[in-house]
Amino acid sequence: MFMPTRRHVLVVLAFTLLLSVPLQRISGSPYLEVFGRVGFIGAVLLVAYSAAGRLRPRWLGPHLARLSAIVLAAPLAAIATVLVAERGNVLAYLQKPEAQTATIAMVVMAVFFGVPFSLLAMRGERRQRERADRLQAELERNRLERELLDMRLRLLHAQIEPHFLFNTLANIEALVASGSANAAPVLRHLIAYLRAAMPRLGDAGATLETELQLVRSYLELMHLRMPDRLRFTVSTVPGAATLRFPSMTLLTLAENAVRHGIDPSVDGGEIEVGGRHDPSTGTTVLWVSDTGVGMSETAAPGTGLSNLRGRLHAFYGPAARVDLHDVLPHGLRVECHFQAKEAA
Amino acid sequence: MRQVKALIADDEPLLRERLRAHLALLWPELALTDDARNGAEALELAGLHHPDIVFLDIRMPGLNGIDTARALARRAHLVFVTAYEQYAVQAFEQGAIDYLVKPVDGARLADTVERLKRQLAAPFHGNAAMDSMLDQLAARLGHRVGSPGPRLQWIKASVGNSVRLIPVEQVHYLRAEEKYTRVVWEEGEALIRKTIRELTDQLDPVRFVQTHRSVIVNLACVRAVVRGVNETADLYLRTSNEILPVSRSYLHHFRQM
Repeated sequence: MFMPTRRHVLVVLAFTLLLSVPLQRISGSPYLEVFGRVGFIGAVLLVAYSAAGRLRPRWLGPHLARLSAIVLAAPLAAIATVLVAERGNVLAYLQKPEAQTATIAMVVMAVFFGVPFSLLAMRGERRQRERADRLQAELERNRLERELLDMRLRLLHAQIEPHFLFNTLANIEALVASGSANAAPVLRHLIAYLRAAMPRLGDAGATLETELQLVRSYLELMHLRMPDRLRFTVSTVPGAATLRFPSMTLLTLAENAVRHGIDPSVDGGEIEVGGRHDPSTGTTVLWVSDTGVGMSETAAPGTGLSNLRGRLHAFYGPAARVDLHDVLPHGLRVECHFQAKEAA
Repeated sequence: MRQVKALIADDEPLLRERLRAHLALLWPELALTDDARNGAEALELAGLHHPDIVFLDIRMPGLNGIDTARALARRAHLVFVTAYEQYAVQAFEQGAIDYLVKPVDGARLADTVERLKRQLAAPFHGNAAMDSMLDQLAARLGHRVGSPGPRLQWIKASVGNSVRLIPVEQVHYLRAEEKYTRVVWEEGEALIRKTIRELTDQLDPVRFVQTHRSVIVNLACVRAVVRGVNETADLYLRTSNEILPVSRSYLHHFRQM
């Protein structure tokens, strides 16, 4: 943008070539001489226009800077052409009245054509910038879509952590071997969890209600495995049955709370899952809060959280957000804020 | 012959009981001490009871199975217990170290019991391959997501009546304000107690640069650097109309820009 663009150079060249035709008729001078002057003035104005964009003082806006440069450069360029043509005898030349008229006409013409051309050029630049911005936005959207697709593929491949599955199965085997009456309900929780976590494409039909049920099943299983260390509550959220919700998102938060909050803690803690939903406005807050070890300021952010952000954005728009809060004396609370959509 | 003693260390009570029941069936003469619920308890009970054998879960809270194993390796025969750990199983097999996979299979446990009985008949030297195996295992299991790194990833700041954890990539800039530092990020502003000096040391220097005695900026948020007089400059941000100062001693960060 600092140097004249090829396009600008071509436009100025074409226009000055054309403009020289009527001027040659009027002045009676040879065409090349007229074009020499007009073309030179055009070139000076073009350079002034480009340089003004770069060298302008900070207090002057780019538009004003360029227009002032045109207005200032026009008489200087006109006088310069005289200087060249008359080989230095400028004062003598300018004393002739027709020469004065010609020079003034040249200046007026330079301003007259220079200003609208630079306005046009600036509009063109603005459009180009807007196009670049649109392209950028488009790229960003493509990137988000690609990430969403990647994430779905990852979900397909590694939805159920083998460590979780085999540990849970080991616990159920222990219940069965000891003839515990708990075996059947626990198995039902595992089945509910597996059914929800089974690979499937798309979030069609997933509601907050089904997600809360999934989180409940998962936490029941974890409670079975660490009964002395994990306590939990999953509250009902009004309107959850009709609220469309991307599946496995709240579960990710519950899994993180267990894995990074409760599991590393010798004493364990409590996980609370809940939410507020205002059906009239759609404003929704969901949270997963734990009293585990909490998060250190240097803990490397996992992919889970950024995936969660991406999915909420894709589902509820860019205003959706995920906030993390410290829980005192120790623990972590993750909140999802978004404007909800009702299920069709 | 004196009675053989064993200790079970696992954070999941049902699995401890299950292993206990299995062992009672397969090796009735074995005396089991109280169970340990975590690594620290395992060390404490081992110090108290001097078991010949320790059944050790790899993933435990507090002191994990690997660190516990390091402390116990010269004092007892170790049998590792794991639910599913590809790397661990590989490492065990290379080091000829005994391990069990959950849910524990009776026949497999019977083999382990036979092997342990043979080993107990010979004088105990410890397993020479244990140390290198544990190093290998620690290296492979150590780099989990969420393990603390050297750099600041989150900034804890009071916002309203709660303490937010702000991801550093969302931070636009930090500016000293009397006793506090103001954090300006995507969603707003907050004051924190950390000083600019502490933050400079803790933030990733590739992404965050100090530009002035009282200012640190996220380079991703810088739109333009405009040189001023006297080897200073102004930083224009993408994210707001705020203009940040660059003083002479920090200008070298922007020479290339």
